[in-house]
Amino acid sequence: MRRTWVAVLLLVAACTGPVRSSGVYESKAGQTAAAAASAVETAMLAVDGARGGKAYGRYLTQVLVEAEEDAGSAQGTFDGIQPPDQRADQLRGRLDELLDQATGTLEDLRIAARRGRFAELPELARPLPKVAERLGDFAEAHG
Amino acid sequence: MKRLLSVALGILTAIGGFVDIGDIVANTETGARFGMSLAWVVVVGVVGICLFAEMAGRVATVSGRAVFDLVRERLGARLALVNLLASFFITFLTLAAEIGGVALAIELATSVNYLLFVPVVAVAVWLVIWRVKFDLMENVFGLLGLALVVTAVALWRLHPDWGGLLGGAVHPAVPQGEGHPSWWYFAIALLGAAMTPYEVFFFSSGAVEEGWSRADLITNRLNVYIGFPLGGLLSLALMAGATLFLEPRGIEPGHLSQAALPTMLALGKLGLAVLLLGFFAATFGAALETGLSCGYSIAQYFGFQWGKFVRPADAPRFHLVAMVAVAAGALLVLTTLDPITVTEYSIVLSAAALPLTYLPILVVANDPDYMGDKVNSRFTNALGTVYLLLLGVVAVATIPLMVLTKAGS
Repeated sequence: MRRTWVAVLLLVAACTGPVRSSGVYESKAGQTAAAAASAVETAMLAVDGARGGKAYGRYLTQVLVEAEEDAGSAQGTFDGIQPPDQRADQLRGRLDELLDQATGTLEDLRIAARRGRFAELPELARPLPKVAERLGDFAEAHG
Repeated sequence: MKRLLSVALGILTAIGGFVDIGDIVANTETGARFGMSLAWVVVVGVVGICLFAEMAGRVATVSGRAVFDLVRERLGARLALVNLLASFFITFLTLAAEIGGVALAIELATSVNYLLFVPVVAVAVWLVIWRVKFDLMENVFGLLGLALVVTAVALWRLHPDWGGLLGGAVHPAVPQGEGHPSWWYFAIALLGAAMTPYEVFFFSSGAVEEGWSRADLITNRLNVYIGFPLGGLLSLALMAGATLFLEPRGIEPGHLSQAALPTMLALGKLGLAVLLLGFFAATFGAALETGLSCGYSIAQYFGFQWGKFVRPADAPRFHLVAMVAVAAGALLVLTTLDPITVTEYSIVLSAAALPLTYLPILVVANDPDYMGDKVNSRFTNALGTVYLLLLGVVAVATIPLMVLTKAGS
């Protein structure tokens, strides 16, 4: 019997379940914003490298692929968490808007890099500094 | 002149062979999160590895037998088995991390998924272990590993605020927004990366492989006391690069590619190419060392014929263990477990197992039956004892800190 309970508890702990406290949810939102900001900043450094002709295309592509994966993974994990109340719904909406901008731009960068259009990267990356700043502010406010 | 060249070569390979995937990951992550505030741990780690590697090399040189060979004889089968199990597990995890690291380095150069390279890397590692002569293998990968000097060149080219970097290093403080538990957790990771057990197994077994005699004691000391600290400087260069480029931008590195960003931005394509070569050589060289160390530790404990100084047919069980370890390491990476995560766990768990590795070395290095007049000096013993106390505290604190900080996240 005890073993069954332990197994059930382990299973429950392994799932991404609802967050009962809005404070915990807010903290997770802050962490997600920080992770996405990190991915965006990484992509910006890669684009700096592309702008100065400092990196090989394959390396740049890899950095951008990983940045997109990181931001997408952070968003996916956060969106899998059940918001506990209406305030959390609002928070989720605001963060998702920022995350969509980040992942959308990173996706464009990855596609361009995969097609070898490295000269277009600086132009495509133009929204990133603003997105990074807003994600950073969000992470600071809710971290 | 030939002797001088041999010593110089030994020092160069010690520098190039010092850094592995654990050092690359730990120093980059630490620099990105805590700036230079944990640089002192690299110094503590380098002094520690110098202390115990010199002991292990001296034991092998004087007795003509490697550390594990003597540990079982001196401490008994049961105690030596505990030592073996802990050390083998950590070395195996490190081997898997290094295989993943080689595949990641190739991925950075090709942008082709690293998992495709893992079997190729494993076969290449096994072939080199099986076929290539010990000194050739050690020299080639040690010298190629020197390519990582490019991280120090990049740092110099960036004209950083040296005073600021040094100030951060000599006045360590937990940065704002970070907790003490995470800071200490990363300190443990850095120590584990610098003092990882396989380094002493490989160093002492290597001394036997190369047939060192008492005349080589000076070579042992020079390799350790010059080569390792200079290798440690490369670790600090990686940390400083991350401090300058990644920390101010809030970048939390989780990929090998991010460790290359500072060098790429400072030196451009040529610097990046040299760095990728350095990543490849450092991780491939360490994969060879850990693969061999798996074979050394098991064979020396059970008394099998071991080493590359005999033909593979004369040491079949040693080569079988090395081959199975390499294959199992590759399979572990092929489960799609992130190699960087494997690295993070291997260096932290390595820190937890350090006393089990280093206590027997201290005991054997003090035994006049094996060492004659070359037993440890009082100073070495005092320092060794201080380190063992420190490593004991680290071993006790590691797992609670891992749980408390959710592995530093």
